[in-house]
Amino acid sequence: MVSATKQGPEPAAQDGAPGSGAPAPAGKSAAGHPGGSGLPPGPEHTAAVSARLRDLMFRAHLWQRRALIVSLRVARLVRTGFRRFLPALRFIGRSLHRRWRRSLQFRTVLTTLLLAVTSFAVVGAYLSNQIANNLFQERLAQAESETSYHVKQVQDTFDGAQVTDQASVITLVYDTLNAVEGRGSVIQRRYVFEAMPEQTKPRNRWVESRASDQLTVSVIPPELRKAVQESGKDQYWASTVIPVGTEDRPGIAVGNKVTFNGTVYELYLIYDLNTAQQTLDEIQSVLWAGGAVLVLLIGAVAWYVTRNVVSPVSHAAMVSEKLAAGQLQERMVVRGEDEVARLGASFNHMAASLQEQITQLATLSQMQQRFVSDVSHELRTPLTTVRMAAEVLYDARHDFDPINKRSAELLYNQVERFQSLLSDLLEISRFDAGVAVLDAEAEDILQVVAHAIEGAAPVAAEYGSEIVLRAPEGAVIVEMDARRIDRIMRNLILNAVEHGEGKPVTVTVAASQTAVGIAVRDHGIGMAPAEAARVFDRFWRADPARARTTGGSGLGLSIAMEDTKLHNGWLQAWGKKGSGANFRLTLPLRQGEEIDKSPVQLEPEDIVMPGEPGNSNMLVLGTGAAAGTVPAQEERT
Amino acid sequence: MPEGAEQDKAILIREYITMKARILVVDDDEALAEMIGIVLRNDGFEPVFCADGAQALDIFRSSRPDLVLLDLMLPGVDGIEVCRQIRGESDVPIVMLTAKSDTSDVVRGLESGADDYVPKPFKPAELVARVRARLRPGDQKAPETLRIADITIDVAGHTVSRGSDRISLTPLEFDLLVALARKPWQVFTRELLLEQVWGYRHAADTRLVNVHVQRLRSKIEQDPEAPEVVLTVRGVGYKAGA
Repeated sequence: MVSATKQGPEPAAQDGAPGSGAPAPAGKSAAGHPGGSGLPPGPEHTAAVSARLRDLMFRAHLWQRRALIVSLRVARLVRTGFRRFLPALRFIGRSLHRRWRRSLQFRTVLTTLLLAVTSFAVVGAYLSNQIANNLFQERLAQAESETSYHVKQVQDTFDGAQVTDQASVITLVYDTLNAVEGRGSVIQRRYVFEAMPEQTKPRNRWVESRASDQLTVSVIPPELRKAVQESGKDQYWASTVIPVGTEDRPGIAVGNKVTFNGTVYELYLIYDLNTAQQTLDEIQSVLWAGGAVLVLLIGAVAWYVTRNVVSPVSHAAMVSEKLAAGQLQERMVVRGEDEVARLGASFNHMAASLQEQITQLATLSQMQQRFVSDVSHELRTPLTTVRMAAEVLYDARHDFDPINKRSAELLYNQVERFQSLLSDLLEISRFDAGVAVLDAEAEDILQVVAHAIEGAAPVAAEYGSEIVLRAPEGAVIVEMDARRIDRIMRNLILNAVEHGEGKPVTVTVAASQTAVGIAVRDHGIGMAPAEAARVFDRFWRADPARARTTGGSGLGLSIAMEDTKLHNGWLQAWGKKGSGANFRLTLPLRQGEEIDKSPVQLEPEDIVMPGEPGNSNMLVLGTGAAAGTVPAQEERT
Repeated sequence: MPEGAEQDKAILIREYITMKARILVVDDDEALAEMIGIVLRNDGFEPVFCADGAQALDIFRSSRPDLVLLDLMLPGVDGIEVCRQIRGESDVPIVMLTAKSDTSDVVRGLESGADDYVPKPFKPAELVARVRARLRPGDQKAPETLRIADITIDVAGHTVSRGSDRISLTPLEFDLLVALARKPWQVFTRELLLEQVWGYRHAADTRLVNVHVQRLRSKIEQDPEAPEVVLTVRGVGYKAGA
């Protein structure tokens, strides 16, 4: 298409030169020269030369434009092709990369293949180089000995010649040289026979040069000619390329000098290396084929071997994933007695003992659960009767004499205490058995807190403490088990009232985007940091010597901690001797979310006084945080 | 059926007047049953006892109690099954006595048809309060027709219907529905419902409300998963649908 549009002005510029219509670029430029050289010489010669020059320049310009257009088109084609195949290439690259990362087998086979190809390339290159070298050296030695023989033959023939006329000299030289080519139909060697330049020309020098078919002196490398010309009677060789038929073949040219009738000639015998080249080609193709087959075989072997090793491993990985997912009856298939079979057997052994232990634990847990349930029922029924009877007696105590009256009161109070102790114990053992479940629902926590404060009001009044609630306006909706949160709050508030020495108890509620914090602060006797860390321990008492005034079981705060853990929350304590204590409950607004920061401070703001070392307080904060967060994480794992 | 209902009502009214409500105590623990008997008698009720779940239904039929106190764990037929049997033929209030306060047990009991439960160990006053709350005669019911969504409630006639289909509800479920329907603009907290429907001043267990709302929904909603009659107000409680 390009040539069609650009061809319009051409004939005019070409001065009607023949061959202007030739479509092929090669043909055109080739045709241009003979056309130009065909111009007649004479006075118009300079004009013709300048016209030819203009024509040539125009053509060069034209072809430059065409080449530019073609190259742009090719570039565009390559670019669009690249763009079209780029996603596919990228996909292939990515999937290969994924396989490389995820499949040991793929990686091993690929690495093996790469290593095999590299080593075969190195070995193959070395081998073929050695063989080529040996073949060449052998042929060279043969060529040199043959050359020295034939040169001697030719020289002898020339020396013994008794010819004087031109025809017989030419015949003699030609016959002698033809004899060098060898007998039979196959040409064994070729020759180039050339009179040495720059020598005095004798009268009877009728032969200037002579060569085998298709050869001229130009096939002889100039270096070789120079070496032969400058030496005495030494023999030199060089590699060269000779035309045979339509192809060029590698050859060795070996040269020396011969003298005939006082003229020094250079005689080069040229040996065809084609057979050696063919042998070499054959050897190389065998090497290639052998290498390819070997690489494929090695790849297959690597694939087979790694599959044999990897498939039990990936089988083991699959089985252990299933085991981890709770399918405890899953086992590996064991075949034979090799290492892999041993791995399978010991894996199965491990799985079996794991299953046994887990089943045992599950049974134990079930037994414990059943026990708790049974004790619960068996103890509660008589306790109910005792409690009702005690209350009936208590209600009628005014009709009794003082001794019976006091007994009825004691019976009533202690049955109450026994009952609360029993229910706390059962609650704790329910946590221990792992049967406590969170019955979470979105509710307003302010209502729950208010309810707990209301419930604690009678006890607070008894102690003379005032309970102050500091809470935001509106509602704070939290996904929680309101019954448990109510219990936590009641425990914390009663605990604060009990240790508050009649001073006010402050309940602070604050919420962030993710969490709600509730702090219960008293200003009573307080506690040391070490005590704050232990306050959630079961039956732990800050001061064993101090009388237990309320009928608490000693389990209240432990239960509160368990309830908090069930909510994935934090329950922390801060204390300072003489400055009271602060308990902080932090809950995530939605279950399953993490708390990163509590909206209320654990260390009360009113306690940090200027000039007072804050280190001890910070220490307590740390202990409290650890006590609160670590078990919560245990709960999750 | 109308004749029987009339008869039931007549007996109820008579006994309410004489303050001698008959209460069937189904409990295998003789000491506890006796103690409950003492307390109930002390408060002017007439207790009837049954120690075996298998006989509970027969004794229920012969004694026609006004209220049943039922232990969850019984020899023979268990409490849940007894509850289901009684509920199958009567709307009489059933209060469960449970030694287990695990949510699942409580919910199971309530779902089998109990109106309320008292966890052991309970105080005599607590038991009597619950009994009285369940025996409290319904408010004087003026002829009144309420509507929530596509539900029609005839308060005096004690019937609920969707179009021409009658829906059978227990008295407690009926009271719950009426309480919501009377003030369709109000959102009821669980505590408020406990007070208005169950008659508890101090909140007992709000799970009672949850379970009964679910049971009510399963009867009156066309799709209990997407309720239209009784709506949940997240974080607050329930309200009537438009």
